[in-house]
Amino acid sequence: MAKKVVKLTFPQRLIKQPLTFQMAKKYNVMPNIRRAKVTETVGELVLELEGRQKDLEKGLEFLSKKGVIVEPIVGDIVE
Amino acid sequence: MSYIKGLKCRECHRHYPKEVLFVCEYCFGSLEVDYDYEAIKKVLTKEKILSRPKNMWRYKELLPLEGEPTDGLNTGFTPLIRANNLAKVLGVKELYIKDDSVNHPTLSFKDRVVAVALSRAKELGFRTVACASTGNLANSVSAQAAMAGLRAYIFIPADLELGKVIASLIYAPTVVAVEGNYDEVNRLCSEIASKYKWAFVNINIRPYYAEGSKTYAYEIAEQLNWRAPLHIVVPSAGGSLITKIWKGLKEFEKLGLIPEVKTKVYCAQGKGSSPIVTAIKENSDIIKPVKPKTIAKSLAIGNPADGYYAKDTVLQSGGWAEEASDEEIVEAIKLLASTEGIFTETAGGVTVAVTKKLIEQKRIPPDESIVISITGNGLKTQEAVYEKLPKPIKIKPTLSSFEEYHRKEQ
Repeated sequence: MAKKVVKLTFPQRLIKQPLTFQMAKKYNVMPNIRRAKVTETVGELVLELEGRQKDLEKGLEFLSKKGVIVEPIVGDIVE
Repeated sequence: MSYIKGLKCRECHRHYPKEVLFVCEYCFGSLEVDYDYEAIKKVLTKEKILSRPKNMWRYKELLPLEGEPTDGLNTGFTPLIRANNLAKVLGVKELYIKDDSVNHPTLSFKDRVVAVALSRAKELGFRTVACASTGNLANSVSAQAAMAGLRAYIFIPADLELGKVIASLIYAPTVVAVEGNYDEVNRLCSEIASKYKWAFVNINIRPYYAEGSKTYAYEIAEQLNWRAPLHIVVPSAGGSLITKIWKGLKEFEKLGLIPEVKTKVYCAQGKGSSPIVTAIKENSDIIKPVKPKTIAKSLAIGNPADGYYAKDTVLQSGGWAEEASDEEIVEAIKLLASTEGIFTETAGGVTVAVTKKLIEQKRIPPDESIVISITGNGLKTQEAVYEKLPKPIKIKPTLSSFEEYHRKEQ
C-alpha cells in the first residue's frame, strides 16, 4: 500500500459535489482529511490518501479531470 | 551555544525537535523555527551587533544554527540607499532601496537563505544539497556548495534556455534537466526530496533555510538607525520573504532593539502570477493556485507554499497588494536604473512598479518612510529589456562623423 499527501483546491462550482467520496469509492482509496477550509468561492482540502500506487494515481487523475486542482502540500518546488 | 528551542507547526502550533522535519505529522501544516528569546535578549545587544563584521551573521543568535556559521561569511549587509532621485519622480519624501542585487556571492537575496541552509545542512549531517530552480536559487546553491565542498544537485525543467543555467554550471554542480512540464518537475522533485537523504534546501530543510530572509529586515532596521520603516514593499513568489521580514522586525522589537513596529507590508507580484495579491484583495483564506504567466520568472510561482501566511502578514500589518504587467515591469526597471543607477532583475521591476501604483492609489502616503525591496540583479534577466532599449548610435571613426551626430542631438 502506498500513501500520498496532497492539497486539493475546489473551484466554487465543485464545492457541493461529493468528489472526494466518489474518488475514494471508485478507486478504493482511503482518504484521511487533516485540514480543510471552505469559503464562499473556493474550497481547500489537505489529506493523506492510502491505496495501491496505481489506484492513487487514477484517483487523483479523476479529480483533476473533474476540475479539482491537485498539488503537493509543499507548494511549488521550482523557485 | 544554540538558541533554537525547536520547530513549531504554523497551523496547530504543535512542537517538534530541531531535526530534519518540515511538515506537521498531524495537520500537514508547515513548520518554523522557534527560539529562546529570553536567553537571546540577555546576550544580543546593539553594541554586540555593531562590534561584529558587516555580514548577515552579525545577528547569528537569531538564526537557526547550533554552532558557528560556516557559509555566507561575506553575504549580506548590502546597501540601504536613500533614493532621492526616484523619490522625486514618485512624489514622496523618504524613500530607500534595500539593494540585494549586489549580494555576495551570486547577486540575489537567495544568498542569505542558502547560507543558512548549507550551514544547517552540515550540522544535520548532510553531504549533498539540492534544489529545483530556474534561476537565483540554483546559482546560489551551486556557488555556495562549491565553496563548502558539498555535492550539489540542481534540477531544472528541460526546456529552460541554457543561458539561464550558465551561472550555475560554472560552479560544477550536477545539473539535471527534467523532461516534463512545470507541474511534473514540481511533483518529481517533491518525490526525490522525500526519498533521498539530501538536503533539498527549499523542501526538507525549508524551516531553517527560510530563516535566512530575516537578516534582510534586521539590516534595514539597523541601517535606518535602529527603527523599522513605516512602509515596505516586498516582491512575492512563494510568499516566504514577506513573512520573514515581518518576523525579523517583530523579533527586533521583542528584543528591545527597535521601538514598536508600525510597518505596513505590501506584496508585489507580476500580473499573470499573482495568487497572493488576489487573496489579499478578496480577503480570502484560501490561495487559489494559478498557471504563472509573467516575464518576472523569478516570481512565477503558481502554488505558493507560504501564500496564506503572506496574505495574513500583509493584512495584519495594515498593508495591501498590487500586481504589475509585463510593460509596467520593464518601465520600472528602466526607471530605477535611470534614477538610482541600479539595474535590477524583473522581480525588482515588479516591486518598483507596484510601489509607484500604491503611491498613486494613496495607499502609501507621500510623507512617510518607504523601503523598496530589490532582491536580484538585472544582468541575469537582460532578455526582458533587450528589445525595449534604444540601440547605440553608429558613426564612422572620424571626428566629423561624431560631430555631425552631436550637432543633430543638440
